[in-house]
Amino acid sequence: MINSKTDIDLVKLLETDINKGFRLVVEKYRTKLYYHIRRLVILHEDADDALQNTFINAWRNISNFRKESSLYTWLYTIATNEALTLINKRTHNSAVSLDDLDKWFAVSAEGNIWFDGDEAQVKLQNAVLKLPEKQRIVFNLKYYDNLTYEEMSEILKTSVGALKASYHHAVKKIENLLSGI
Amino acid sequence: MKRVSKIPEGNPFKVPENYFETVTSKIISATSGTTTGGKKKVLDLRIRTFLAVAASVAILCLLSYTGLLLFSPRNSYLSFSEISVETYSESIIYDLDINTLEQDPGLSGIPEDKEQIEKTDIIDYLLLEEIDIFEIQELI
Repeated sequence: MINSKTDIDLVKLLETDINKGFRLVVEKYRTKLYYHIRRLVILHEDADDALQNTFINAWRNISNFRKESSLYTWLYTIATNEALTLINKRTHNSAVSLDDLDKWFAVSAEGNIWFDGDEAQVKLQNAVLKLPEKQRIVFNLKYYDNLTYEEMSEILKTSVGALKASYHHAVKKIENLLSGI
Repeated sequence: MKRVSKIPEGNPFKVPENYFETVTSKIISATSGTTTGGKKKVLDLRIRTFLAVAASVAILCLLSYTGLLLFSPRNSYLSFSEISVETYSESIIYDLDINTLEQDPGLSGIPEDKEQIEKTDIIDYLLLEEIDIFEIQELI
């Protein structure tokens, strides 16, 4: 979990020296946001586009950033929306339907120099891709990013209870898929 | 936190060398020299008051005019009993009547096609919206 005091300092710096503050924001969150996006869109090239769009959108809206939410969850919200926009664009432009993402992934991952997973990792990614879109995001945010349910609730505008149930349900599904059930 | 068993943790996604430094430079280049969204402009209070009053007057005038049109005596129109059968028949050929409207689903606002929804999508939706599945099961 990100130190919220550091975020507070960043927000103050953005008010006094926006260019310096923004650079620090990018340097601090680029890696986390990149891998969050990458787990959703899979391809490095797509993740690269979405990451840049995320920070450009953040720059454009930084003056309107409401301090009720944390900088961290605000950036994650923008990144999630960018990733979903890209996925939807991809499914409209190609023959890949949302139901075939796991098959598309299996083809894309094989031989892809930017995917270095073993067979177990490929199986896990395939299983995660079989989850409904929102549940996949819930799983990724909890399993890989270790966000609290309260932080996820801010990002996804869903209640903590529903997120807990959704994550539990997602884990069960993935375990069953990996076990071949 | 519940972990998925039997799967080693790790990150299978690779990035090009120095990617994060490069992308930071690209982002800073793309944003430098441009302005942020900026705070939303707020109209002067006096102008806002003037616009509010002007809008109210305009709405009142419109309502008055509409009221006059609707409720003024229609001396130029024949009453129903004075319309001949031939004239009435012609009018329903050219005018849209209520029966036509009721028969056309596109005008009723009801969607023509309903999407196919999978059972798992329903369950996931119910979970995300915190609806008690067991309660629904008992009602069925």
